[in-house]
Parts: sequence; C-alpha cells; structure tokens
Amino acid sequence: MRNVAIIGVGYTPVFVSKRKDVNIVEMISEAVDAAFRNTNLTPDDIDSITFGNMQTFEGLNLPHLWAADHISALGKPTIRISTGGTTGMSTLQAAYYQVASGLYDVVMAVTWEKQSEGDSQVGLAGIVMPEVMVMVQNGMDLFGGRGIGGMGGGSTGAASYQATSYLHHSGASPEHIDKMAALERTNASKNPYAHLRKATTVEDIQATPFISWPLRYGHTCPTSDGATVAIVVSEEKAAKLADQAAWINGVACCASDPTTANLIEGQITDPAEQQPARIAAEKAFAMAGIKNPRKEIDMAELYNGFAHQSLMWLEKLGLCKEGEAHKMLDKGALDIDGELPTNASGGVFSTNAIGASAMNRPAECALQIMRKIEGGHQIPKKVRNALAHGWGGLFQYVTVMIISDEPRKA
Amino acid sequence: MAFEMGPETRQVQGTWDVTTYKYKIDGGGMKLLCDAMKEKKIRGIRCNECGTVYVPAPTFCRKCHVDIDEVVEVEDSGEVGTFAVEMADMRGNPIEKERISAQIKLDGADTWLGGTIEGVDWHDVKIGMKVKAIWVDNPEGRLSDIDHFEPL
Repeated sequence: MRNVAIIGVGYTPVFVSKRKDVNIVEMISEAVDAAFRNTNLTPDDIDSITFGNMQTFEGLNLPHLWAADHISALGKPTIRISTGGTTGMSTLQAAYYQVASGLYDVVMAVTWEKQSEGDSQVGLAGIVMPEVMVMVQNGMDLFGGRGIGGMGGGSTGAASYQATSYLHHSGASPEHIDKMAALERTNASKNPYAHLRKATTVEDIQATPFISWPLRYGHTCPTSDGATVAIVVSEEKAAKLADQAAWINGVACCASDPTTANLIEGQITDPAEQQPARIAAEKAFAMAGIKNPRKEIDMAELYNGFAHQSLMWLEKLGLCKEGEAHKMLDKGALDIDGELPTNASGGVFSTNAIGASAMNRPAECALQIMRKIEGGHQIPKKVRNALAHGWGGLFQYVTVMIISDEPRKA
Repeated sequence: MAFEMGPETRQVQGTWDVTTYKYKIDGGGMKLLCDAMKEKKIRGIRCNECGTVYVPAPTFCRKCHVDIDEVVEVEDSGEVGTFAVEMADMRGNPIEKERISAQIKLDGADTWLGGTIEGVDWHDVKIGMKVKAIWVDNPEGRLSDIDHFEPL
C-alpha cells in the first residue's frame, strides 16, 4: 500500500448561516478554487474526484453530477460518498483508498453543506421514517411523551441521553460541559473559517437556556453553509508537486448497533458507550505505528455536534483514561498551548456545514502540521501526530485518521 | 481576509414529501409486544445462543446473527439506563412543563425502551433508579397502554 499525503486544503472564504449570494455549486467552486490556489495545481493535475454531502438535507439528488463542471470533474471519475455526520472524512478516506491502492496519483476530495437551503430535521427524520411510522401506527405519542417510545427533542434529545450517561460514568459535572463549550467557542473566535466567532465565557454559556437537560442551547452546534476541499497525492507526486505535506498514516472506520434509532427492534447499546471509537482508534494507531497514543498524539480534532462530546471522545478514543478528560480540561491540558490541544479550530461545535464537518477535522490537522493555519489558532508546539475523528450515522459510526509530519515507514 | 458576501440571488421554493414513500417493514416484534400489552404484559424474544432478550424483538439476534423465536415475558419494572429533561420542543421553543424522558431497561430484558417518568422532581432522577410502568385502565394493545413510569 502506498503512502498518501494531503498537500493542500481549500475552504470557502467563510462559513456562515446563510450564503444568499451563491447557489450550491457556486459555493462549492469557491473551495475548489481555493484548493487549486493553495497548491498551485490546475484541474489538469487531478486524476479523480470524491464528493460528499448529506443525503436529502438540501432536497437535492445527484449533486455531484450537477456540480461536475464546477469541481473540474468533466471527463474524470467522480464518486459521491454519504455516510451521515462522518461524510467529510469518508470522502477523504475514499480519496485515500484511490491513491493508496495505486489506482490514481492525485485525487481531490470535495465536501460541503448548504444547510440554509434545506431542512436538516426532515433529513434526519428520513433516517428512521419507516420505524417511526410503525411506532405511530402502534400508538406511539411521537412528541407528547405519553406511552412507550416518544422521543422529544430530536437530535438534541438523543444527544442529551448520551450526555447524561457520559456525566454519570465519567464523574464530570454539567459545568465541565459549559467550560469545554467556552474553550472551543473562544478557539473559534481566532479561526477565520469558523462560523460562531465570538470569544465566550463560561458565564455566557450558562446564561443560555436548557433545551434538554443536561444540554443547553449554548452546548449545541450551529447550522452552517460552507465547503472544504483537500487534495491528496502519492509519495512520489508529493515530492514533485508540494513543498510541504501532511501524511495520512492511519485510516479506520467502524459501526456498531444503532444506539438511538432501533425503535422497533430493541436498542441494546448505551449511547455513551461508543465502542466503535475505541475499535477505530486502535486500528488507526496500529496502522500509523503509534504505540502510546497518550504520549505520541500531539493534538486532536474531534467531531462534536454537542459540547460534552469532546470530553467523551478523548476517553473513548484512548487519548486519556475513562473519567480523566474533565480533569485534563480543568488543568488547561486541552487549551491551544496545552499538552493535548483539543479542537483548536473550535470544532464542529462552532462550525457545522455537516458534509464538510468530518473533513474539517483532518484538514485542520494537516494545516496545523504544515503550520499554515490562518488566524490565531496555530498550536505553538511542533505537531508530529494528530488525531482526526468523525462521528455520526445513527449515533454509532466513527471514522478516525492519524495525520503525521512524516510518511509511514514501510 | 475581509470577505464581503455579494448581493442576494433568486430563490425558488420546492418540496420533497417523505410521506409518499411505501416502506416495507415486518414489525413482528412490535405486534408481539402490543398483543401482550393488551393483557398488561411485556413480551420479547430471547436468543438461544447468547441469552440476549430483545423488547421489541427483531427476527434475528444482532450479536449472534441467528434466527430467534423464543418468546419470553419480562417485568413491567426496571431501571433508568439514561435520561434527559426536555425543556424545549423539536424546534427549540420552550415547553410549559419540563418532561423527564428516559431510556428504561426492564427487568429481564437487555434492551432499552423510551418512556416518560412522572411522580418525581427531575433533580432527583438518577441513572440506575428503579421505576415501574403505570398502565392505563383499559389497555387496547397499543404502545400508549403504558401511560408513564414512576419511581418504585
């Protein structure tokens, strides 16, 4: 298997709630142009394109074919990837497979979401629609809460179940969620490609209302419009095309039992258990030759639609012991200049163009390693190995990438 | 880095109606449960290989990948697996009275069922707390036959 490098990233100029000035493909092309600008490549250099966004969120079928000319895909292989919240990293992993296998040398991964044009609640409902219909036919009070099976709160409701379980088992307090939220929003204030860019205090977070205890409004991510593109190449091409590269040394993904959506066939898994995170991380560490992740991983970019998740993922991914993440937060270890900077970008929690969200994790890791971070969130210490994480599906699908400053040894 | 958005361009309205699809779904485990609920009972299916009891039941064990059909009755009481306290509706608007929404592991089952807990201040709810089902007076074989759960 060949080594694969990220040689450049392109973002849309901004990630915001509503891009009313461009349509979907115009917005995507901004990130594609930025990737070409940042790598000095041209469309002729690209062998193949992978493309990802959430299915149904914009009510749009075959967006990769509509976008074909805007992503320089005419006459080239193009495949669409859609795996839920993990879509962005799955799209990058698909590009990785194409280069690692020797099939292509230079592949562009294009990820995006334009949430302002769609309705994410309809998209999410589409995941469990058949089961919900059966439950409703059998007398479930969907939103009222009488009887068995009612599930108020949508995505936040399910995340709250996870947060309660995480707090119970870790010993962290709801105030730790407030503190993590304030840290990440403050990190985001330094990131020009973040959506919510206001330095935020614990008191600011605590002034927001609860949606579903233990989660407050201030613990939830925004819905964003934006796109992110990464160009990955073989080791041989990296030497020819790029001055700098960040190496994809570990790649893994893993699914488990649907923890929140098995409405009619019995849910058997605690939403905070997240066994796929441990399995995927262990596989990625082994592939990257990481023997002691707690020592060797220098930074983490974690997929956190909700603020408690950063702490939970640190434990589930093996970057600290169970019950230790909130203690690391308390002693400043998760700060940009700390021992294990966590979501220096502000995380999904501050910027969520969903299809791009799990791409922004490895993209940020690559830019940190290459020291090409724009804005004020460059991690001061040298980053050798970074962990990028994606999460989604029915609460049970995890992707992991290890991004490093040097290629994997054979 | 100063980026100015351009003027707003034209937008047109469209719909995708998710209610027009024809989903094929067996729901045998759901029928087993609802038929039992008519008698104020809870029934599911046990896997002969690993012993996992599913309520409502699938047709095969998701751990062992074997067909399962051994019907078992479980208790209508159990413990709180996890919970949340709803204070806003699906669209984020505040609701009048908070609702304790829980995932409950019934005694004898390995699965979690969603339900509402009443008769306790939400600050006092804990994971692992024992709760029992409160049935409606005249069950009809529907999921609404259990009205809510209360602490044991």
